[in-house]
This record gives sequence, C-alpha cells and structure tokens, in this order.
Amino acid sequence: MKRRLFIASSIAAALAGCAPIGTALNDNPGFHHFLGLEGSLDAALMGNLPGLAREYSLADISKHFPVDSLPTPMTSTYQSLLEHEFRNYTLTVVGAVERPLRLSLAQLQRMPQQSQITRHDCVEGWSAIGAWSGVPLHRILQMARPRRDARYAIFRCMDSDDQGTPYYESLDMAQAYQPQTILALQLNGEPIRPDHGAPVRLRVPTQLGYKSAKWVREIEVLGSFSHLYGGKGGYWEDQGYEWYAGI
Amino acid sequence: MCYSCIVQRLVYRYALLTRLAHWFGAIAVAVLISSGLQIFNAAPYLDAADRSTPARRVLSIDSPADGVGRTTVFGRSFTTTGVLGWGSDGTGGEGARAFPGWLTIPAYQDLADGRRWHFFFAWVASLAWVAWLLSSAIKGTLAEMILRPSDLRKLWPMQAYYLRLRREPPPHGTYNPLQKAAYTFVLFVLAPLIVLTGLALSPGIDAIAHPLTVLFGGRQFARLWHFVGMLLFVGFALVHIFQVVTQGFLNQMRSMISGWYRLREHESVGP
Repeated sequence: MKRRLFIASSIAAALAGCAPIGTALNDNPGFHHFLGLEGSLDAALMGNLPGLAREYSLADISKHFPVDSLPTPMTSTYQSLLEHEFRNYTLTVVGAVERPLRLSLAQLQRMPQQSQITRHDCVEGWSAIGAWSGVPLHRILQMARPRRDARYAIFRCMDSDDQGTPYYESLDMAQAYQPQTILALQLNGEPIRPDHGAPVRLRVPTQLGYKSAKWVREIEVLGSFSHLYGGKGGYWEDQGYEWYAGI
Repeated sequence: MCYSCIVQRLVYRYALLTRLAHWFGAIAVAVLISSGLQIFNAAPYLDAADRSTPARRVLSIDSPADGVGRTTVFGRSFTTTGVLGWGSDGTGGEGARAFPGWLTIPAYQDLADGRRWHFFFAWVASLAWVAWLLSSAIKGTLAEMILRPSDLRKLWPMQAYYLRLRREPPPHGTYNPLQKAAYTFVLFVLAPLIVLTGLALSPGIDAIAHPLTVLFGGRQFARLWHFVGMLLFVGFALVHIFQVVTQGFLNQMRSMISGWYRLREHESVGP
C-alpha cells in the first residue's frame, strides 16, 4: 500500500510540477531568450521560400471577416481623413530610397491593381478568406528605387495602443517583393472599411495576420530595425511574437 | 542466493540512445501538450473546415457568464466550470479560460510564449523520434516492434490473455502483438499525423506545400486533426503509464534510466 501511495504521489507530483516549472523557466530571461532562438531558425529556413499563398474562388469568401487588432484610430488626424473620404491621405515612401515618394489615395487607385482571394491566418488560430485588391508592393518599391543598403521595409501605421505605442511592422526586401504582397485598397469589392484598416492595409498572405498591418501611412526603407521601438521589427514582435510569422 | 545469481538476473534492456530519446521525447511531449493547450486557449474552438466556420464547429470551450465554464462538443453543451471555460488563470485567481492555468505553459495566458515553447520542443520531440527510429532501424531492433499481417490474428488472443479469458499468451517474439500494434500506431501513424497537421497550420508551409493542407481539409481542419492527434497520444500515454505502474514500477523506471532490467522468474528477456 505504501508502495502504491509512493508511485501515485510521484506521478501526481510530476504532473503538477509541469506548469509551475514551465512558468518559472518562462520567466527566466536567459531561458526565454534561448527558446526564442527557434524563431531565428525558422526565419533562416523558411523566411524566403518561393511559395505562393493558395488562391480561392469567390464561393469560398468568408461571410464574416473578423476584426481583431488594435482599435480603429480615434485621433483627430485619422477622423479628419475619414470625414473627407481619405482625399487628403498620402502614403510616403522614405529612407534608403533614391526617389522618396508621396502618393495620394487617387494615385494609388490609378496604379495597376492586383486581386487575390486568399486566406488570412490569425496567430490566435482563426482563419478567414477575403478578396483583396490593391497595388503590389514591389511596384511601389520599384518606383522608389531602394538603395543598395536597403534590407527592410518598415510600415508605420496610424493606430496605437492605450500606452500610445504606435503599430508598425517590417518585411525584408525579398518578402516585400513577394508577388502577393500588396497594399490593399479593397476588401470583397468595396473600399476597405475603417475597422479593416482604411484606406491602405498591407496584405501578406504567406504570413500570419499581424504582418498585414492596417492603417499604413508610411513605408520606410532601412538597413536595420534594431533602433525602432522594442527593436524586434514590429509591434507584436516587441511583445514576444516571432518576426518571421510564417509558422 | 548469491551475488552472482542476482547479477545474472539483470539484463541490459535499453541502449543509451533509446533511454535518452525516451526521456527527451517524454519531456518534449509533455511540454508540447501543455503549450499546445495554451495556444488553443487563444481561439478555443475547432472547426471542420478550411477557414473558421461556426456552422461546422466541432468543439468550443467558452464562458457564457462570469463564473461559468461551458464545453460544447458536436452541438451538445456541458457545464465544465472550474476546469474548462472558467478556471485558474495561472496568476492565483480565476477567470474565463478554455484550459486552466495548471494545465498550460506558461500558467498565465500568453500566446507568444506558448508558441515559443511549442515550436522549440517540436524540434526536440521530432529529433528524438528520428534519432531513435534511425538507430533502431540500423541495429535491426525496430523490425521486432513493427506489427505484421501475421500478428493480426494474435491480437485478440493476446487481449483475451490480459482479460484472463485465456491461460497463455499466444506465442510471440520480443514484443507481444498488442505492444507491436501500439508502438506501430504511435511511431508510424500518430507521430507523423501530429507533425504533418502541425506543419499544415503554418501559412508559410501552406504556401510551399498546398496539397498538405488540402489533404487534411484545410487550415482549421488541420487544427482539429492536430488536437485529435494530441488526444490519441494522451490516451496512449495513460495506458503506457498504467502499464509501467502495474508491471513493476521501480524495475521499469530503473531499466529506462540505467538500462538494466531485473528479470522476474520465467520472464523472457524482452520488455
């Protein structure tokens, strides 16, 4: 009987120990960093694979496309843009480019558009299919002509969290030139709604949804993002999510 | 009883690589399950469809009101307050949570960290699996664990023996037919299923291998299969642990730690 009690209590202790030990290790900065090295391995292995996201048919489009992001900007700047139907909106392209750009929404709308019916995979686990159309990012970058030291495109957005930290994202140049990476202006045949990122939303269908930044106002081409905010290359990346969001 | 007699009755049953692979695999699988539940908590439902489709929801765990946990399986709801839907939030309090804090890594809700643990230990488990598979295939010991067509007719007699409906087990080699069936299923069906459905969830993998995600019915469906794979593995682990506990716990533990197993009277060399 003692033996059984010993066995039962040792198994119970092993099971009950899992979560506390895991949590203690998780709170240890060194171990936490060590676990994160796996993300760098994924980026090296998969970050620039040539694949294309699967394209769907009209019948596959989700009836309800969830909104799951920071709240729609309530700043006077954004509200004023919204009131004037984004006629005063400009997308700026700056940084390590030979030809900085200022593009109005009308100019973006007049550029050749690409349409894609692709699946949006949220890091939380849900997916939704939508018909996106907009300007391929590579066209805009080709117009701006990145310099030789350009390595990343940084996307600066108009939304921020309740601490005032603005949303931003980044792609390396190969991801930015991926043919399905677009600056989306429309979702399901209509101009993108404010809560979906109006007027311009980045769309990166080969990675998780947090890469597809809403309310983009500026693209800055840089050699490194380590000096920006938390230094990890994106709002969610600064909070521990992987920079390469293809997993 | 003399010293040499005792020594003679000990056999070296598990090679070092087998023991390392077993314990690395066991720890990795425990971490994968609890970090996987952490990841599940971020979207606590499973749909039998490519994209999220509430009409094809197979499982959901939610909290319809403060202090109430609810689990819905195939449209039938159960109150699961305290464990599923409402329970320990991992910081000492209680709150709306699909799986409770004492089952997840980390205990508190943190999707980013759950993913870190999950992806790191996915490599550990996969490497332990591949290393053990390769080494035992090279040594030739893998062959005696694989279920063969000739074993199928021995499955019931073996089960009947365990149920005490039969005096003697059917004649078999190192592993009995039920052990072979269990190991073959786990090593060659379940483990690949879990790895492949996990990969199918990744938009980057989907972009280079569409057929993989399509094979499982799409991304949300792959998430469902991945979860089912976990449940089957938990089932295997429970039976496995039950057997270790009832078949000479300390002897079994020693053999998987040091390699040495003490034979009981009339016992053959194999496990």
